[in-house]
Amino acid sequence: MTTTTAVPGAAAPARRGLGRYGRRLNEIGLLAAILLLYVVLGASASGFLSLDNQLGLLRNAATIGIAAWGVTLVIVAGEIDISIGPAVAFASVLVAKGAAEWNLGVAGAITLTLLLGVAWGALAGWLRARFNVPSFITTLGLWSVLGGLALYMTDALPVPLPESAVFDVLGGSVLGVPTSALVMLVLFAVFAYVARYTAYGRSVYAIGGNAAAARLAGLNVTRVRVVLFATTGLLAAVTGILLAARLGSGNGGAAAGLEFDVIAAVVIGGTALAGGRGSLLGTFLGVVFISVIANGLVLLGVNPFFQDVVRGLIIVAAVLVNVLVNSRSAANRLT
Amino acid sequence: MSSDTPSSPAPDPGTAPDPGTAPDAGTAPDAGAAANPGTIPAPTSAVVAATRGATKTYPGVRALDGVDFEVRAGEVRALLGRNGAGKSTLIRMLCGVETPDEGTVEIGGTPLAGGGVRRAAELGVGTVHQELSLVPQLSAAENLCLGAWPTAGGRIDHAAVRAGAREAFAELGVDIDPDTPVGELPLAQQQLVEIARALRSRPRLLILDEPTSALAAGEAEIVLSAVTRVAGRGVGVVYVSHRLDEIRRVADTVTVMRDGAVVETAPVRGATTARIVSLMLGRDEAEEARRPAGAVDRSGTPLLSVRDLAVPPKVDAVSFDLYPGEVLGLAGLMGSGRTEVLRALAGFAPSTGTVAVEGAPVARRTPRAMKRLGVGITPEDRKGEGVVPLLGVSENMVLTWFGGASTAATVRPSRVAAIGRGLVERLSIKTARPDTPIVNLSGGNQQKAVIGRWLHARSRILLLDEPTRGVDVEAKAQIYRIVRELADQGAAVVFVSSELEELPLVCDRVLTLRAGRLEQELTGDDITLDNIMTAAMAA
Repeated sequence: MTTTTAVPGAAAPARRGLGRYGRRLNEIGLLAAILLLYVVLGASASGFLSLDNQLGLLRNAATIGIAAWGVTLVIVAGEIDISIGPAVAFASVLVAKGAAEWNLGVAGAITLTLLLGVAWGALAGWLRARFNVPSFITTLGLWSVLGGLALYMTDALPVPLPESAVFDVLGGSVLGVPTSALVMLVLFAVFAYVARYTAYGRSVYAIGGNAAAARLAGLNVTRVRVVLFATTGLLAAVTGILLAARLGSGNGGAAAGLEFDVIAAVVIGGTALAGGRGSLLGTFLGVVFISVIANGLVLLGVNPFFQDVVRGLIIVAAVLVNVLVNSRSAANRLT
Repeated sequence: MSSDTPSSPAPDPGTAPDPGTAPDAGTAPDAGAAANPGTIPAPTSAVVAATRGATKTYPGVRALDGVDFEVRAGEVRALLGRNGAGKSTLIRMLCGVETPDEGTVEIGGTPLAGGGVRRAAELGVGTVHQELSLVPQLSAAENLCLGAWPTAGGRIDHAAVRAGAREAFAELGVDIDPDTPVGELPLAQQQLVEIARALRSRPRLLILDEPTSALAAGEAEIVLSAVTRVAGRGVGVVYVSHRLDEIRRVADTVTVMRDGAVVETAPVRGATTARIVSLMLGRDEAEEARRPAGAVDRSGTPLLSVRDLAVPPKVDAVSFDLYPGEVLGLAGLMGSGRTEVLRALAGFAPSTGTVAVEGAPVARRTPRAMKRLGVGITPEDRKGEGVVPLLGVSENMVLTWFGGASTAATVRPSRVAAIGRGLVERLSIKTARPDTPIVNLSGGNQQKAVIGRWLHARSRILLLDEPTRGVDVEAKAQIYRIVRELADQGAAVVFVSSELEELPLVCDRVLTLRAGRLEQELTGDDITLDNIMTAAMAA
């Protein structure tokens, strides 16, 4: 107590101003990086700025973004969810099987998929909350189980979706904009609101900042943790349904490695892996950043294997800048 | 702070009057007699560390202003002052973390000259910081050797590690098993391991920054006698603490700092508590905590009624009634079960026995049930379990009841801010703004916010676990005042403290707890330090 608090009144406003600036710096920097990418790719990659390409980019962003909204809150709460990729694949298989083979009808298949998504997520959250199994492990278990089930149930073959107007809309566009992108944007608004303006959202921040304090303040930490993972399960199911609708089939091998894109987007967006700090706006920019890079590398004709190398380097570099900015503003706050 | 045996102010030993260098001559009447307020003549032993005219300015604040400070071999020098008085900066300068903007720092006569921590250590400065820096999983012996393992033939010589540790502990006069993982040792022994580690390099100067702030009185005693022993071997000791009783026992001289300057250095013998406090606060009379006023009305239904509460294995058969308007002190040494009682009452620990709120027994004591009945708890470990560091002060307070800041399930930032402003004002929380991250506040202000959290939740039964731990004198007085005000407004407070001398200042009634049982009940004029101490410690 004698170390951090020695500075009274006079210096405080200036420091706080810096701290505020620092907190936004992160998002401003990311926005600048995205604009830079647009300028560079607009000049060097033919077709990058075309409307078709931009809409396609948005559609791809949705695959990452929808799950990333939920994972942002998971990481803010000091947890992690690495099950997104296989969960999306399994959901796409479920909805296809349900509609095509189990005679549940389109609505029934979608409902079943969403409910199961909530259920497996809640299970992982409950194991975390009730028995203190680290969420890395519970979701690693999900990763393996769901990925295995998806391939086992389909023999790794695509399961075609039946003809349906619903799937056509889900996989297509509304007024020219890809449906999945619209879903992503609507859910973004919902999650940004939840994170900032609801007791649940604020509890997530409190728990991520200091779970013991949140518990003693009477917050229901167990329930929040279960809901967090039930949410990411649900969002993975939504993503899986949209993906199946777009591809016209459920595919046990779909979305491989998606979990890492999602986590990368969240962390690039400035959410601290240690919990307690992060924003949906940051994640939104992180999703755009990752999607633009992926799209640009394709347009530039970079070797697909080498694309992973470049993406990996850029992601680490982006997070490094982020951490440096954050530690500087933290230093401003604490001295 | 209480003043114990009053004695006349110490006449300053024969130094040439030099009012020009004496700061605050107006408020500290006899400071003018000291030529060099940071030094005390003790020509018998060598100066081990000194600063001369040390000045340090941070943006917007002068943390140290021309400080002259000297410590001699074998001397235990207490360093006192409120937060922000410059104690930390002075210590950081002595151990090389900070370099003065002007002036010099000398260790053993050699200027430090910006050599940093490494240089300071070479010159013989050992430091024990307030926060323990031990690796809990490693043994006590291994912790002593961290970074400097004795080797034999390129391998770590475990026998030498153990033998070195035994020797180091024997020198301190303590009995610690070198093979026990540090995390399993009691806190006092962990603190001693820290001190032993700082002593390994045979320093001339040992700096102890609040070494006992986490310890109960009995445990602190072990640390204090070790400190005396260290000084007896000719090491100069700088001892920072807020506990005046300890300083009286361990220190030879006391240096009081205020606003970045040394106000006075005097022998501990003869400096009264009231005088020290007034020097620290810069006022002639320290803000006296209000003595409990009228008698508590015990005719109605008790707000909280506890019968045979048992929390295995620590607490058995605790019973008491708590009435509105009452502040009940729960005294006892660390490990006596105080914290367990509070946790059980707030529903965080399974317990047996009956607990009734306003006469109605509570069958299932879950955290949510107890919270709904108006029970609020503040933990002793403020950093670990109290504050959510990165959230704003306001938000740290509304999180007990988001509903109070919401309309139709939407938390309104404007309402959060308004509630925060109200509580900041009501509790005199010093913060730049209500939305400043709470980690930036001093310990005392953090504590007020943690209490404020339960005011927001409209709690009527407040369980305060060590609310003044690690808090400066001024904030302590404010916390006492807040507690009394809450009681006057009809709340009932259970006040747990191991700083026993503060209980007579706030409590209407004190229960002493020893080894999980209620030992004695003290009311009215019987609430004296002596009585409490005797009941808590005596067999």
